[in-house]
Amino acid sequence: MSEPVLGFEDAAFSFGDVTILDDASVALESGTFVALVGPNGSGKTTALELFAGLRPLDAGTVTRPATDGRTVAYLPQSPRFRPGFTVREVVQFYGSLVAEAVDADAILARVGLSAAADRRVDELSGGMARLLGLAQALIGDPPVVVLDEPTSGLDPDIADHIFETAATMAAGDRLVLTTSHDLEAVSRYADRVLLIANGEFVLDGSPAALLEQAGEARLRDVFSAAVAGTGRDAVDVDVSADGGGE
Amino acid sequence: MRVRPVVAVANREVRTLLRNRALSAVVGVFAVVVIGLGGASMGSPGGYVSLTYDLLLPVELLVPVLAFAVAFQSIRGDDERGTLSILRTYSVSRPEYVLGVFVGRALPAFVAVVAALAAAGVVASLGAPETSSFLATHSAGDTPLVYARFVLLAGWYTLATVAFVLAGSALARTDREALAAGIGAVVVVAFVADLALVALLTTGFVGDLIGVLVGLAPASAFRGLVLELVIRPAIATDPGVATAHPVVSAFGLAGWTVIALAAAAAAVWRPVER
Repeated sequence: MSEPVLGFEDAAFSFGDVTILDDASVALESGTFVALVGPNGSGKTTALELFAGLRPLDAGTVTRPATDGRTVAYLPQSPRFRPGFTVREVVQFYGSLVAEAVDADAILARVGLSAAADRRVDELSGGMARLLGLAQALIGDPPVVVLDEPTSGLDPDIADHIFETAATMAAGDRLVLTTSHDLEAVSRYADRVLLIANGEFVLDGSPAALLEQAGEARLRDVFSAAVAGTGRDAVDVDVSADGGGE
Repeated sequence: MRVRPVVAVANREVRTLLRNRALSAVVGVFAVVVIGLGGASMGSPGGYVSLTYDLLLPVELLVPVLAFAVAFQSIRGDDERGTLSILRTYSVSRPEYVLGVFVGRALPAFVAVVAALAAAGVVASLGAPETSSFLATHSAGDTPLVYARFVLLAGWYTLATVAFVLAGSALARTDREALAAGIGAVVVVAFVADLALVALLTTGFVGDLIGVLVGLAPASAFRGLVLELVIRPAIATDPGVATAHPVVSAFGLAGWTVIALAAAAAAVWRPVER
């Protein structure tokens, strides 16, 4: 197994009384497409921000690549690039922030956005905006790419295209870590699945291994069994028998 | 501090401003007001001194409003859209990012203010009789050069007020906070600091220090510099009493700019050990 390029060791982080990581450890290798899943409010986005260096841990250590230049690319859940600029101009702007020359058209071709290069970003569909985010993540050839729910709210076709693109990005010597609630797509595309709940990584393995270990046919059932309704506990459900109507 | 990221960010900010129609309208209104006042002074026997007096208060009040329009959404907008998180994964430091935003927002504002005031000067000089005071008939020298000093000081005041609003944009954590901080910066720059000075004066403890104290607030520092470096040298009879201390005012205006930019750089994001 290769050296981990990204990881936590005894990591702790909380927002006041809300614990996100509690002595959590994990090591992720390059060349893999890893999906971080978990109930709503379990801290997936915060964990990504900690991995990406956007927040400091309260305790413990985080491992990131020790290379020069851009080491970890990050794509927030619903990025809205500055309006008035074309897709190509956005890539050229971020390209101007790295030392090496960036071929904007080549990068757009890698994510399937060549035809939209001259379109203004405020005219893009949600899926195209995410693809532009993926294109941005490739700038500077970072060894780690971190994506926060890149397919949320998208139709299945474009969601599949984004998952395929992300998996292709990981095919070389790059680690791609994404959060997602689309467990069907995760089971199809991810090399490894991490389940975060109650401040810990409670499941860790390939989709096939997790299914075999749990004796389930669907990743969704593995997820439900592992979190045992913790997601619902976070919601104050109080609906009367008549549906709450007057 | 590296030049490359500063230029890249500044370039994006300039293009953002140039493509913003609402902002163009604000700049247009500013230019119409200022040039209109210049037109009202057309052929006036008071010359450039009179024109400077006419424009001083409007510039003092309108420049902060222009700065607000130019800068209040700048840093907060990047944060709200999620692009600040993306930028942070590139090797751009906080001072580089803030300086880039400042240069890209303040320079166009500087050019707009200087161009509008220069146009007002040209318009005011039109229609003046051959021997008009516009052509340095005052013994003390009411020349275009004196007016040019006022224009440049107004440009400097513009830089300081944009820095103020930028700091508010960096400190804000929500759009509403950014709006409030931007308006707050305008009100503080244009009114509150002056009111504080007046309040101090009424205590009777200020005495001869008033010339120094006016240099400590942005608008009064600008006003003091104009009165001391533009009006006083141009009028024939020296009033004998200094309205401001030019050196203190110059340091005051520069100091507010630096302090505001430093505050913006400190607040824009929390540094994380790599």
